[in-house]
Amino acid sequence: MKLAIFLSDWRRTEDSFERMKAEKMGVILVGNGVYHAVVKENGKDSPVLSKAGASFYVLSDDLTTRGYTAANVNSKVKVVSYGDIVDLIMNDYEKSAWI
Amino acid sequence: MGELTLGVFSSLVGSMSLDFSFKIAEAAIAKGHKVNMWLSGNAVMMAKKGQKAFKDYSHNEKLMKELMGKGMEITVCEACAEARGYHKEDVPEGMKRASMDWYLAKTVKTDKLLHIGGE
Repeated sequence: MKLAIFLSDWRRTEDSFERMKAEKMGVILVGNGVYHAVVKENGKDSPVLSKAGASFYVLSDDLTTRGYTAANVNSKVKVVSYGDIVDLIMNDYEKSAWI
Repeated sequence: MGELTLGVFSSLVGSMSLDFSFKIAEAAIAKGHKVNMWLSGNAVMMAKKGQKAFKDYSHNEKLMKELMGKGMEITVCEACAEARGYHKEDVPEGMKRASMDWYLAKTVKTDKLLHIGGE
């Protein structure tokens, strides 16, 4: 299955997130989930970004709202617009999950 | 073009995921997709008449009506509404109320589904 996972919070959701498996996985960071793309703790990337084989995306508008720009974003993560997310949902992934 | 169904469970005021729901719907419609929205749980209050816009809170009523004018179908969970004292006469023109069966049927028939949780 090709699965897009929306992460909308900075809270620790790795337990459920880590159990999710898919042949192709996209992780879309929205809302407070964008902090996974920009914040390091003790010099380390968010554990979310260590999901093996996943592609990572972050919503541009939600970055800007929180005072960040594309320059602050981890190199593993692609900055996308709402229109790009529509394309990911409609064209690239079979199922979507909001966790 | 495809059909996208959004199941929205976010609360009305101060909810980032409710704002997200309307913005993703707007972007999907701009790309020519058909969008359906199911408002359930605390999100049913989004579809109540007579809401006041406050300066410091997001207010999606205007965008919601614009999107309905462009063909977005909005259906409100009848039981969730009644449980909150929100009755049939409070539903804005053009919206429907239905049981969970409506949403279940859409989840089977729609091309893509995004179920947006509450906060």
